[in-house]
Amino acid sequence: MKARDLVFRSLVFYARTHAGVVLGAALASTILAGALVVGDSVRASLRRFADDRLGRVAFAMAGNERFFRAALADELAARLNLPVVAALQLPATATTAEATARANHVQLLGIPPDFWKLAGHPASFADLDTNTVLVNERLAGQLGLQPGGTLLLRTPKPSLLSREAPISPQEDASTALRLTVGAVLRDDQFGRFSLQANQVAPGNAFVSLAHLQARLELPGRANLLLVGAEPGQAIATNRVAEALHQAWQLADAQLELRTLPATGETELRTSRVFLEAPVANAVLEMPQARGILTYFVNELRCGSQSTPYSIVSALPPGAYPGGLADHEILVSQWLAEDLSAKPGDSLSLAYFVVGSRRQLEERQHTFTIRGVIPMTDPLADRQLMPDYPGLAKADHCRDWDAGFPIKLDRIRAKDEKYWQDYRGTPKAFITLGTGQQLWSNRFGNLTAVRFPAGAEATSRIEARVRESIRPAGVGMVMQPVREMAAAAATQGQDFGQLFLGFSFFLVLAALILMGLLFQFGVEQRLAEAGTLLALGFTPGRVRRLFLLEAGVLVGLGSLLGVPAGCLYGRAMIYGLTHLWQSAVGTPSLFYHAAYPTLLAGAAAGAAVAWASAWWTLRKQFQRPVQELIARGAELEPAGPPLRQKTSPEMLLATFALVGGSLVMGAGALGTDYAAPVFFLAGALFLAGGLALAGLLLTAQATADGAAHPGLAGIALRNAARRRQRSLATLGLLACGSFLIVAVSVNRLDASRQADQRRSGTGGFALVAETSLPVVHDLNTPAGLEFYGLDATALAGGSAVQCRVREGDDASCLNLNRAQVPRFLGVPPEALQSRGAFSFATVARGLPADQPWRLLSRAGPGEPVPVIGDAASIKWAMGRSVGDLLTFLDERGRPFQARIVAALANSILQGCLVMAETDFIQLFPSETGCRFFLVDTPPAQAAPVSATLTRAFRDVGMEVTSASRRLDAFNAVQNTYLSTFQLLGGLGLVLGSVGVALVVLRNVHERRSELALMVAMGFRVRAISRLVLWEHSYLLLGGLGVGTLSAAAAVLPALRSPGGGLPYVPLLILLAAVVSHGLLWTWAVVRVALHRPLLAALRNE
Amino acid sequence: MAAQPLLLELRNLAKAYPAGEEGKPLAVLRGITLGIAAGESIAIVGPSGSGKSTLLNLVGALDHPTSGEVLFHGRNLAGLDELALADFRSREIGFIFQSHLLLPQCTLWENVLLPTLACPGHKPVEPAEHRATRLLARVGLKDRANHRPGQLSGGERQRAAVVRALINSPKLLLADEPTGSLDRAGAQNLAQLLLELNQEEGVTLILITHALELAQRMGRILELVDGQLHPAQP
Repeated sequence: MKARDLVFRSLVFYARTHAGVVLGAALASTILAGALVVGDSVRASLRRFADDRLGRVAFAMAGNERFFRAALADELAARLNLPVVAALQLPATATTAEATARANHVQLLGIPPDFWKLAGHPASFADLDTNTVLVNERLAGQLGLQPGGTLLLRTPKPSLLSREAPISPQEDASTALRLTVGAVLRDDQFGRFSLQANQVAPGNAFVSLAHLQARLELPGRANLLLVGAEPGQAIATNRVAEALHQAWQLADAQLELRTLPATGETELRTSRVFLEAPVANAVLEMPQARGILTYFVNELRCGSQSTPYSIVSALPPGAYPGGLADHEILVSQWLAEDLSAKPGDSLSLAYFVVGSRRQLEERQHTFTIRGVIPMTDPLADRQLMPDYPGLAKADHCRDWDAGFPIKLDRIRAKDEKYWQDYRGTPKAFITLGTGQQLWSNRFGNLTAVRFPAGAEATSRIEARVRESIRPAGVGMVMQPVREMAAAAATQGQDFGQLFLGFSFFLVLAALILMGLLFQFGVEQRLAEAGTLLALGFTPGRVRRLFLLEAGVLVGLGSLLGVPAGCLYGRAMIYGLTHLWQSAVGTPSLFYHAAYPTLLAGAAAGAAVAWASAWWTLRKQFQRPVQELIARGAELEPAGPPLRQKTSPEMLLATFALVGGSLVMGAGALGTDYAAPVFFLAGALFLAGGLALAGLLLTAQATADGAAHPGLAGIALRNAARRRQRSLATLGLLACGSFLIVAVSVNRLDASRQADQRRSGTGGFALVAETSLPVVHDLNTPAGLEFYGLDATALAGGSAVQCRVREGDDASCLNLNRAQVPRFLGVPPEALQSRGAFSFATVARGLPADQPWRLLSRAGPGEPVPVIGDAASIKWAMGRSVGDLLTFLDERGRPFQARIVAALANSILQGCLVMAETDFIQLFPSETGCRFFLVDTPPAQAAPVSATLTRAFRDVGMEVTSASRRLDAFNAVQNTYLSTFQLLGGLGLVLGSVGVALVVLRNVHERRSELALMVAMGFRVRAISRLVLWEHSYLLLGGLGVGTLSAAAAVLPALRSPGGGLPYVPLLILLAAVVSHGLLWTWAVVRVALHRPLLAALRNE
Repeated sequence: MAAQPLLLELRNLAKAYPAGEEGKPLAVLRGITLGIAAGESIAIVGPSGSGKSTLLNLVGALDHPTSGEVLFHGRNLAGLDELALADFRSREIGFIFQSHLLLPQCTLWENVLLPTLACPGHKPVEPAEHRATRLLARVGLKDRANHRPGQLSGGERQRAAVVRALINSPKLLLADEPTGSLDRAGAQNLAQLLLELNQEEGVTLILITHALELAQRMGRILELVDGQLHPAQP
């Protein structure tokens, strides 16, 4: 005889009793394994999405509005021995031919034939002709497109000179393409191509690169470079960057080096008109380099005479043989005659500077005329004027487009003649220092750099220019997109942990139920245990034998939990993709389970189930052997009076106070800690509540009898008989009700107080986003007029216009971890003056009274202050308020950003907000605004929305009500809560099963005493009532503990803006839960007392 | 009788249970002094609730006295910790209860060998399997070894319980109303078996019974009255 023989015999003999234990363990393992499988599935899905969207692309250089030579791809490919493809990538809007449907935020890609070799799976699409477009499934679905259908695409016509730059023309802002759909691409056919990590595919339209280049007047140009590599092939980023540095040419940065025939000088200029600071600074370091700044001024006036619309150049001191002071000006002969000016006269210069939103400000500066130069002077060089897009090719002055209104009646015939004879020859000259003081802007402070004739060979100068400028300095930055995609997918929201959290109480309920059933089995065999003790087994040995049995049972249960966990995981994935799609934003998640995950879940289930068995057994067999033998599974001893043996429960009950302190403190800590505080406080309140219930039960069990006990009093005593069993039942019910009640309180309702400034909408009625930039100020009549609107378009409201630097969506709608979030540039005062939004947290040490002004606090060299939504910061970015982050600016230079504050559940989820001034400095070529917060009277929201949508359709404006946008974000949390609630409901069902089992067990054990009551004359109905009350106390007690714990733990949620108690739904829910429990109890009592009781007396 | 070394000695043994909040402790045994030689057979009789089972539990180290000493082979059981007491019970004591307390899930064979698991390091002179075969044959249950308790009569179960009690060759056999659940014939058979085994195995027998007939067959009858042990009146 071996111990294992005894264990085996016991397992077989008590198999029916053990079945419940096995099921309980299986349930725990199922839930744990299934939750982990959900995590595996989401991660695998995100990896596949990343593979679909990037294919073989390992590195990408997205130039946005910087257009380099498409031939750079071949040169780079030769150096790297890797496939490299150049393409055009532009934002667009799309409509059907009948304009019945519109899609905004479309990604238009002009691709060469070899683009498809970068696809993850072999794709064989013929070279696209000029009339054909390939669309992906998302775009096709949005517009109802089929092959052969017609698609209209509108995309901004690239301007090398930013439309916010001075002298930038405004006309001809977009181009329309009318194309026939050639095919609808699946995700695995590279239809999902995107550089942004998001499980939601963008709407993509693929056209011929050559055709797009021609339509956009960008021959041989591209703004997207893709470097391919085989999966798993490791390529160092600096190797690619170095190859780019070797291969790039000045033309790739829109730079041009030319020899001026008239003077023999070599000049560096750019088609972007203004030389960017990194270029200018680098080139000026070269010997004999001279900077030039040439501007278009409104008027030159001397006394009563004026000359309109002229070119003025600012040159370095060395350009003026006789010297020139900063307050002096040289004028051309033509100008002197026109103004009747002479040396010594005062000459004033009027010019426009362009502020944000193309606000034109006219300024003036007065000079003293130093001298007059003849038109034959070398300074009178028409090449000094840069190629201003709206001016250079104009045949007549009246054809000029300088980006501001030109009063044509001011242009005289002589001005036209001047233009014909001299074109852009400057009429006046000032010092470079003064010119830079007057005309410097964020795009640059030079329009050219010249080298004297014979200084160096042009080729040598070019080589030195290329050496001194890194491609990143001109915005040519290679990003390791494959590496970033892998990081985004693996660091994203861990759904395994999320579902473990959701399932925590369900697992707890399963374990309590399992423990209850295990305890029933142990109680049934107490006499056996007593026998073993009498035979010389130590209590520990007896316990080990039972634990060995439990180990086999939980092992079996866990094995069953593996396939069941797969089913549970599948069910959860089905739920996520069908019922709870608003939480994940895609129906494309798929089931994927790795064996290690399943085994880990099963092992974890076995471990916690075995621990539950251990907990059940820990105090068993401590009673005297003779009592075990004689009384077996009868009454628990009442134990010593309350005051003697309640220290552990008293201690536990005091945890309720600690939990309460945490709840109160949560308000001070801010919602960064709301979730863990909620869970911790809830768990503590539950534990404390159950400990108090245990104390009450002990008190009932040991209290003196009442003088005239009624049935209700006896029922209460009976409830206290099996203290552990009663507590387990209470615990089951408390867990389930806690979950259900707490979840319903935590639901977010965007419509609650939506018009309040402190709410998540910021008090704004509408949120609008455009695909193409809006450069004008919509708060001015002129800005509205540009889009065909009058001053009443916003119904007396206004708009806060935000600049956008695209990045990863850092909202809870993106399952990926945002590597580089989207940035918004906003004037802080626009939000502070409105008191818009409420803040969850402000970084320690910073004033919290005017948080938006924190964006303007930083001095030079300090980290850029940014503000984000609390959910974005914590969940999408994995950061906290106060953290320092490092990003790259437009020129690939790292900059630091500090999170200075977090917004509480706002519509600004998904991005980081910085001051507009910082934004412009970091991303100068991001033109205009594409994100708008619109104030308008609530009653006018719908008509204003319609007006804006219509007026801005060419820039792809999508207008949403702010509360609906917030709803979309809230839908994620609310969906999670629904899942939580569903699983909690299952926990409650388990609780009801537990009550039923306890009823059955209690009645079975006490049949003889109930039979005695019948013999005494009690009617069966009275006995039914007794048993029903006895268990109803447990039911109501458990529900009460759970509900009160939940109410206390969710106080922070009630206090937050948008929070509140949904009284009516909650009361209905509670009533349903109580009714359900009472119904179960009543039904089981009837079943348990169905057999005649007196038979039990006869059997005795 | 020549002075034989005592197997068991009770010195001023007392046992009291704590009463309710208002009452005094309930004294069940009051200063019992008794010496039992090896091989003796003793019957303890007394009215119901007199403390007979309490006395047996103290002797068998299933309970602790309030005062006094229990010495086994001169060794005071009070000096032993729980592990040592369990070891003592497995090697030196055999228990027979009124209810057989056989494990229903095990065969007869496994039930009688169950005590060997309690002291796995113990190497008896007679191997346990051999002893079990011999004793089962001795009590007439050799052919029922693979049957489960549920397949046996009450008398057969009690006989199996006797074999189980003797499997580790204990020096002391404690029987608490061993015939209480049996009919007259079964009780007589069992009583006879116990006496024969007392002689054959040389095991000291202390037996609690209400049945005078059984008590009179023992070597000594003691009566427990008012917590004290007296030789029984004939």
